[in-house]
Amino acid sequence: MALLEIRKARREFITPEGGRLAALDGVDLDVAANEFVTLLGPSGCGKTTLLRSISGFETLDAGTIRLDGADLSALPPFRRPVNTVFQSYALFGHMTVARNVGYALEVRGEDRQARSRAVGEALEKVGLTGMGARKPSQLSGGQRQRVALARAIIGQPRILLLDEPLSALDRNLRQQMQIELKTLQHTLGIAFVFVTHDQEEALTMSDRIVVMRAGQIEQIGTPRTIYRQPKNRFVAEFIGETNLFSLTIDQIDAGLAHARTAEGLQLRLPAGGAKVGDKALAVLRPSDFTLSDQGIAATVTKAVYLGSDLYLFAQPAVGGPEIRVTARDSAQAPQVGAVVHLAYDPAAAHVLEAA
Amino acid sequence: MRNPIGWAALTAFSLGFFLFIYAPLLVIIGYSFNSNPVNMMIWEHFTLDWYRGLLGLAERVSDNNNRAAYIESTDQMFKALRISLTVAGCTTAISTVIGTATAIALSRYKFAAKGFYNGFLMLPMMMPDIVLGIGLLIFFVTIGMQLSLLTIIIGHCTFLTSYVFIIVQARIAGLDPALEEASADLGASEWLTLRKVLLPQLAPGILGGALLAFVISMDDLVITYFVAGTDSTTLPVFIFGMVRRGVKPEINAIATMMIVASVIIAALGLWLRSRKTD
Repeated sequence: MALLEIRKARREFITPEGGRLAALDGVDLDVAANEFVTLLGPSGCGKTTLLRSISGFETLDAGTIRLDGADLSALPPFRRPVNTVFQSYALFGHMTVARNVGYALEVRGEDRQARSRAVGEALEKVGLTGMGARKPSQLSGGQRQRVALARAIIGQPRILLLDEPLSALDRNLRQQMQIELKTLQHTLGIAFVFVTHDQEEALTMSDRIVVMRAGQIEQIGTPRTIYRQPKNRFVAEFIGETNLFSLTIDQIDAGLAHARTAEGLQLRLPAGGAKVGDKALAVLRPSDFTLSDQGIAATVTKAVYLGSDLYLFAQPAVGGPEIRVTARDSAQAPQVGAVVHLAYDPAAAHVLEAA
Repeated sequence: MRNPIGWAALTAFSLGFFLFIYAPLLVIIGYSFNSNPVNMMIWEHFTLDWYRGLLGLAERVSDNNNRAAYIESTDQMFKALRISLTVAGCTTAISTVIGTATAIALSRYKFAAKGFYNGFLMLPMMMPDIVLGIGLLIFFVTIGMQLSLLTIIIGHCTFLTSYVFIIVQARIAGLDPALEEASADLGASEWLTLRKVLLPQLAPGILGGALLAFVISMDDLVITYFVAGTDSTTLPVFIFGMVRRGVKPEINAIATMMIVASVIIAALGLWLRSRKTD
């Protein structure tokens, strides 16, 4: 039995125009103990509504949420054994850091000694030892983030909910916190449900990613599955940079399908169960291509310098959309206007289930 | 690049502006130390006699000189002050509690006709004092209520609750709703959240509203004039009574003391605010 079981979750909002909008439209999700699950999707996809339904700040119109087999729906937020790290951190400005962190124990009525010991441990876990006497206003953004984290884990919740907690941090700090969060989750051994719209963040930290759109789950899988085998066009385009090819299969030969685009660009793909004449939508990531002596002839139209890599836009000679390619930067790297040949491993091409 | 002429003009304008605002107050403070009992526009010499007389520390100058008695007895003035403080104290307590509770209810709970209540709460503030005063008087007479301290307090509460409401509401509007959610999320019931998070966070607004209510209540003349009983003369009504028989030097001294008291209250308020907001 999963730690958290969400079944047929449905939540509608009334739009200002008076219409109905399903923020959650039949969502099923299981979260295992000690799992790091990320809810990923564009804004308005329902990921925050789902998170707030778990914490109790939203009430489902239909469906159930069970924790350890017990239905949560009758419990108000303050009785649910889950805690949240809020996007705005929501630190109490009139309290010291130590009192913020110890708040869960304070309202539970634990005595001062037990509290201060637990606060010390929690602050140590997030690397803020000795900061207890300060006020939140005296801390940097990253430190506030850690206080919010310490405050949420001190009560040993069954699940920690994180609502885009890293979105306010600058890039370096964000990357550092991503790694620290993952490590913390591992040492604490509690399940994390993390909401973000940042696909890179999701890929870095998650055990499983839940891709959502318009109140529905598009795909659930490990970061590698989501990236390498997206189920449909939306997931393919939302996660990472993508080249999408709309193809018709010409010929099948030894497990390889030979296919061509409307413009006549020829590609080879894993055949799977496809038949000659079928339409197919294929995904090739920019890193799947290599610059070679033969392959797809194309002209470089743009070259973006990324440090160790170059990000090239190449226009195939036969026409059609530009192909995006990452190439190692070097002195021989192609310039804008150069003609290159793009090679790829046909096995790397992923054919979408739903074209 | 600063334009020197523009800069000089701005400085002159600013000085002129502050002079315009504060000159009347400075004049009163100056005259309160003028010993000339007959014409205070003519400076005689520096004296503290008016203050001594008011506070009952010395025999009153006017009696000494056998001129007309300018001021009702010191006892009467202190009684008026006591009544004013009682009224202001009670009014502040009542309107702060009601105003704060209303502001929290209107911003945190959903119920029918919210906009209506919001607008309705502003109305007593915008109503001319004289209309409110007459209305209250007629109301008290109609229900057969004896005019007294109580009627003054009720009268003040009717419009001061709105002031507190508006100030506290502005503070709530600037508050992150996630603060209360965080408190609930960490296991605090609604009551604990109110006590440990919401009220401390609103404290500067509540305090500001309370101080404003206190100062306005202390100062109110028009409404008080209508609803005060014969035995409940407040300080403004008392001073108004004195002034009707001519502005006497003692008035300047009372005014000066009130200015000082107001400044002290305002400074206290600012100090408490700066301590509370983080």
